[in-house]
Amino acid sequence: MRLPSPRLLLAIPAIALIFVFMILPITNMAEMSFRTTGTKDPFGEDYTLAHYLRIFGDTYYWGVLLRSLLTAATVTVLCLLVSYPIAWHMSKAKGMKAVFLYACIASPLMTGVLVRNFGWMIVAALNGPLNETLMALGIIERPLRLLFTQGLVILALVHVFVPFMVLPINNALRNISPTLIEASTAMGATRRDVFRDIILPLSFPGIYPGVILVYVLAVAAFVTPALLGGQMVSYMPTLIIGELTGTFQWPFGSALAIVLSLSTVVVVAIFTALTAKLMERSKA
Amino acid sequence: MSGATSAFSHQGPVNIAFGAVIVLLYVFLMAPLVMIVGASFTGGLLIDFPPQGLSLKWYFEFFERRDLVDGLLMSLRIGAITAVVTMTVAMMAALAGQVLSGRLSGWFQLGMTLPLLVPELLTAVGLLFFLYKIELGKTVVGLQMGHILMSFPYAYVSIAAAMRQVPASLEEASASLGATGWQTFRLVILPLVMPGLAMGGIFAFINSFDLYTISLLLKPLGGNTLPLALFDFLTYEFKPTAAAAATLSILLSILGVAIVQKLVGLQRAF
Repeated sequence: MRLPSPRLLLAIPAIALIFVFMILPITNMAEMSFRTTGTKDPFGEDYTLAHYLRIFGDTYYWGVLLRSLLTAATVTVLCLLVSYPIAWHMSKAKGMKAVFLYACIASPLMTGVLVRNFGWMIVAALNGPLNETLMALGIIERPLRLLFTQGLVILALVHVFVPFMVLPINNALRNISPTLIEASTAMGATRRDVFRDIILPLSFPGIYPGVILVYVLAVAAFVTPALLGGQMVSYMPTLIIGELTGTFQWPFGSALAIVLSLSTVVVVAIFTALTAKLMERSKA
Repeated sequence: MSGATSAFSHQGPVNIAFGAVIVLLYVFLMAPLVMIVGASFTGGLLIDFPPQGLSLKWYFEFFERRDLVDGLLMSLRIGAITAVVTMTVAMMAALAGQVLSGRLSGWFQLGMTLPLLVPELLTAVGLLFFLYKIELGKTVVGLQMGHILMSFPYAYVSIAAAMRQVPASLEEASASLGATGWQTFRLVILPLVMPGLAMGGIFAFINSFDLYTISLLLKPLGGNTLPLALFDFLTYEFKPTAAAAATLSILLSILGVAIVQKLVGLQRAF
């Protein structure tokens, strides 16, 4: 057994950064959710379960939570449908074409969420390009009010998260050996067979992290619903931030955040359990 | 041509349809950015695409708006400090991570990327309380710490990937020739990981420049970052000035993408 290398000491600033400014604060937040409501300060001295009871006893909060979880699920599914063909196309590209395609994925990724959402405000405006295209194609007769609808929130979120899904799937697809596909084609497999039995299972190690990441980030996305969702519908993140910055109800806001996180963990666990077989197959 | 391509490259309606879908998907991906850039050059008074005539007046308007320019300067300053600090801390962490192996190394990687994997909202809420407790609430220092934390994983991932490319034998050779640890680092390792280090700094800077949620909760008294100022502007005024501001932000990210391509190649970076 070797002694631990002194070089490990170099990790101290990084570990301190993440521990002090992230793990400690999040633990803190869990504690905060049990505090009583304060009168002068944003939180009280004593502990209570009242905030959780209030959330679970009120169908309004159930509704908002459900809307957040379902919206994120819709976003994740659409994201996968959009990303898979892009990743497939990208994984086949070489040379300058590959560079160009990577740039098309990387530039939105490196542009802020706010800026990209603003782009959708222009696209979806009453006399904006989307309405004009749809009218020119004869699909609609008069412009649709798209801004401040749930549909636009979902569309903009899909746009935000596509790169997070494309990149891992693209990497998984690039790792599939072409000889495997060649061999099965030679043995008479149709394109559909090859896709269902080889490509899809083998790309699952890319799909899985993409799906989890997009879902977790989509559930907690704040900017997009705040900018494009309008005042009519609430999502958990907008509700939480409202409690914290508007009414200064820190304990109640924390309880909402904890409920949101725990429900996300449950969804991720269910997804992992349901897809365990697929993951096994991809390793075989 | 590889086998995979030949198996799937029969010309036919299926392929044409697939090609059309791909084009549409890329249009979907790029359209919002193109619209913003287009709208920023409008000669008209409204945010509109296609723009009404061409002019640069909204850029002049942007630079005359104190709130937006102050936001831009604050974002640039915070981003620069974030890049320098995360590069240093991540470089050290990557050097330490090199000596770990197996499962321990995996856990270390995971720990270092935590701020990326946990939703920004949770970290922001936790930090809001924590900074209040240690009396850094609503200060620039508190906001700066939040940005450093959120951008750290980007720097770490780039630098650690570059470190993995450095063969261990080089370090051993350097040590056996009598170089100290510091000399080996400065003369052997640093030049080799320089592109990865620079890329880490660029990612950290751009990530910091784009952060919104954490800045909203930790916003210092009387200070706004560009995204915060832009959000307010969009909510209350919605003029093409916003498109000019957003175009500057898009230019920055395209510049970042170009530098990363030059340094290490996009394919390896992502």
